[in-house]
Amino acid sequence: MGAAFSIALARTHKKPDAAMPHDAVALCSFGDASANHSTAVGAINAAAHTAYRGLPMPLVFICEDNGIGISVKTPEGWIAANYGARPGLAYVYGDGRDIVDAARAARAAELCARRLRKPVFLHLRTVRLMGHAGSDVETGYRDRAEIEREADHDPLLHTARRCIEEGVYAREDIENLYADIGGRVRRAMEAACTRPKLDCAEAVTAPLTPNMRIPRTGLPGRLLARAPDDARARREPQHMSRLISLALAEQMEKDASVAVFGEDVGRKGGVYGATTRLQQKFGPGRVFDTLLDEQSILGMAIGLAHNGYLPVPEIQFLAYVHNAEDQLRGEAGSLSFFSNSQYANPMVVRVAGLAYQKGFGGHFHNDNSVAVFRDIPGIVLACPSSGAEAVRMMREAFRLARDEGRVVVFLEPIALYGTKDLHEAGDGAMTAAFDEIEGRARFGEVNVIEAGDGDGEDLAIVTYGNGTYLSQRAARRLAEQGISARIIDLRWLTPLPVDAMIEAIGARRNVLIVDECRRTGSPSEEIIAALNDSNAPCTVARVTGVDTYIPLGPAADTVLVSEDGIVEAALKLAGRKLQQQKQRAAE
Amino acid sequence: MKKSAIVLFPGRGTYGKNELGYLARHHADKAAFIAGVDQWREAQGRETVSALDARKTYSAAKHASSVNASAIIYACALADFAAIDRTRYDIVAVCGNSLGWYLTLAAGGALAPANAIRLVDTMGALMEEKGVGGQLVYPFTDEDWRQSRAHEKAVAEALHAGRTAGEAYLSIRLGGMAVLAGDEKGMAAMEKSLPPVEGRYPFRLARHAAFHTPLLEHVSNAAFDALGSELFQGSALPMIDGRGAIWSPRATDTDALYQYTLGTQIVETYDFSKSVEVAIKEFAPDRLILAGPGATLGAPIAQELIRWRWRGLESKADFAALQKEDPFLIAMGREDQRGLVT
Repeated sequence: MGAAFSIALARTHKKPDAAMPHDAVALCSFGDASANHSTAVGAINAAAHTAYRGLPMPLVFICEDNGIGISVKTPEGWIAANYGARPGLAYVYGDGRDIVDAARAARAAELCARRLRKPVFLHLRTVRLMGHAGSDVETGYRDRAEIEREADHDPLLHTARRCIEEGVYAREDIENLYADIGGRVRRAMEAACTRPKLDCAEAVTAPLTPNMRIPRTGLPGRLLARAPDDARARREPQHMSRLISLALAEQMEKDASVAVFGEDVGRKGGVYGATTRLQQKFGPGRVFDTLLDEQSILGMAIGLAHNGYLPVPEIQFLAYVHNAEDQLRGEAGSLSFFSNSQYANPMVVRVAGLAYQKGFGGHFHNDNSVAVFRDIPGIVLACPSSGAEAVRMMREAFRLARDEGRVVVFLEPIALYGTKDLHEAGDGAMTAAFDEIEGRARFGEVNVIEAGDGDGEDLAIVTYGNGTYLSQRAARRLAEQGISARIIDLRWLTPLPVDAMIEAIGARRNVLIVDECRRTGSPSEEIIAALNDSNAPCTVARVTGVDTYIPLGPAADTVLVSEDGIVEAALKLAGRKLQQQKQRAAE
Repeated sequence: MKKSAIVLFPGRGTYGKNELGYLARHHADKAAFIAGVDQWREAQGRETVSALDARKTYSAAKHASSVNASAIIYACALADFAAIDRTRYDIVAVCGNSLGWYLTLAAGGALAPANAIRLVDTMGALMEEKGVGGQLVYPFTDEDWRQSRAHEKAVAEALHAGRTAGEAYLSIRLGGMAVLAGDEKGMAAMEKSLPPVEGRYPFRLARHAAFHTPLLEHVSNAAFDALGSELFQGSALPMIDGRGAIWSPRATDTDALYQYTLGTQIVETYDFSKSVEVAIKEFAPDRLILAGPGATLGAPIAQELIRWRWRGLESKADFAALQKEDPFLIAMGREDQRGLVT
């Protein structure tokens, strides 16, 4: 679906570096059993939805209907009944056992997709000869007569019969052809058996990170003629969500291949304003609203990436990503691995997430678990702690996608979107002027903040996101009590910047991990493990969220990391020094 | 037991000084075939291939001109093809580079001999008369025939520079070699952009036009005017084209073959690398046989084998060792290897 959408998009954009020709048709193949899978249902729905809106979608869904999925039969007529009359979706039936009828149906479907640029469901009746797989004994669930009936429908034999009947081939020709192809297959099999095998973990894991530059024309993205002027907005201090929209505009202006999409990102500019005015600046062809389905949003990103775009899909809330996680885990993240780095689908997935919305929204809007991203091999999880950091990290996220073909998840703490002040009302310490934010935050490097006047020799606070904000406030209180803390804002949660973290901890003997995620599966677990592995001579403590879903109202605060909690944990950890100081003062 | 083999046909520029007398030396027994070619040439008022082959001295102006080189390479290559000992080799598919596609069509049986020389000679003459622009070569790989990111980047940058200044295209993917083409402005910009390597690249090919680029659309149009689709027939052998597509016996749409041959492949990149990739992966032959004249296409074929680590090859040295032990790639244009297949 995403690939088909991208073909139409590239044609509109007259994109010169599209991987597929502008009149290409995307083919999507599956069986009658997997037609019931939610990803298939979602993709078909998204395609039909798009066509129903009158937008082009040159896509052929090919359903090979053999009437059975491993051992479970598809109800007779289900596929035709389900897909035969859907709005926005054409339907063509063909008998896959008959080469002529199959060709007729395929041609009709192709014409519909290529000429009319409409999605079409090509329903091909087929047979299943032998079991589902080598280990599947068909006689366990099918009676002999049925198996034999199926064998009578062998399309290869029927094709041979038709060729002879129509006078295309003599019987001898077919036998020779069969022998030639048999020889070819045998030789290919023998050659395949001699291919070098993967013999160590390094060889297996090498293609997890594509590390390939995606060839692009590097055309700059043009602003619309009537685009609003952002010069003033860039000069004046702005909060995080506004800075993110400016950072996205910067990338869109730099590179015509960047496309931003998601729920409400278009005219509304995002529910939190992080895509403000992007559509007015770059038009609905590059900034557009999608239907409400995260599987489709991420699927679209994959399709766009395959066709030379640098997609920036938005997941409106972290909790919404879970139903679509396989689009990252099983699809986007794995492409480079399974293709031995021949293919990649670089993207920057923006996700608004984490908690601290002052009791608003409950769990669905305050999800504080990032475990879903942390074990996906090869992907990058970034989490900025301020607007300026978001801009610098966004630049690096795009570099990682563009130059290394990476899938980057950019997790934006919702609570910081509109935060302007750090310590006192009106201090504006959480805002920054876009024009003054220089450079990028390098992947693998941490953000070190010296909170007080000292050099933070008493305590290292390792944190990220909202934790950085809370820790800075806590550190000021700690400083008043004589404890000098250094805050190490990790920036990158997957993979963890372990070397930079340990270097930043240096000789500090007390390490407090402030992790806003719920305890189990939180990054704190890996941080502790990394510290242990490195034999760093320090005492480690952590404050984390409680293992629960986030409730509504003030109850939310009872399960989240608080400023008081940080201060308390820090005092407990570094308190001995304080006591010694007090003793010395008393003496 | 017969060995399976794929025969590959060379492109322009393979009949050089050392090939003078190739037909006389190797193909005295194929008088009827050569006479057929000569007859066509005479009827067009062009020097016969026998006469060209029998000249005392090699002259680039004479032998390497498009209209003469095409015909004599065709005669030598098809005669070589006929000389392969079919009792020992089972030819399972054919392919070629650039001009080699026309020879592939002839060897595969999609063109009867009379039609084959007609196509080859007509295209040779059209290229000579209407060819514009030029070609240059530059390596994709390093001196050991291994992938070189720096060279690949240089090629991409040269194409960008060429397109900025004029017209520039990737004309042929030739194993470890990029054949770039363009108009004069594009060529000059590419030559300026490419850092000199191995003491000879970038190297401009004399008497070559911007083959396989949109700059030759008028040649394609003229070819359609000059030749009809009735020239083509179903082939007897699978043929792999310059996109890696396989044209199968008894399953070839001759009109599509006509459109591809006189249209697509003239104006789009000829991906010989892909042809070789498909040849080895799809047909997995016991041997690759490079028809003569010359053997210069051997290096690009070997480079493609190395790219796919075919038979475990990872470098030029590996390839040399394999060839010494048990030649996988047999070049009929080499006296020391010719005997292995004839």
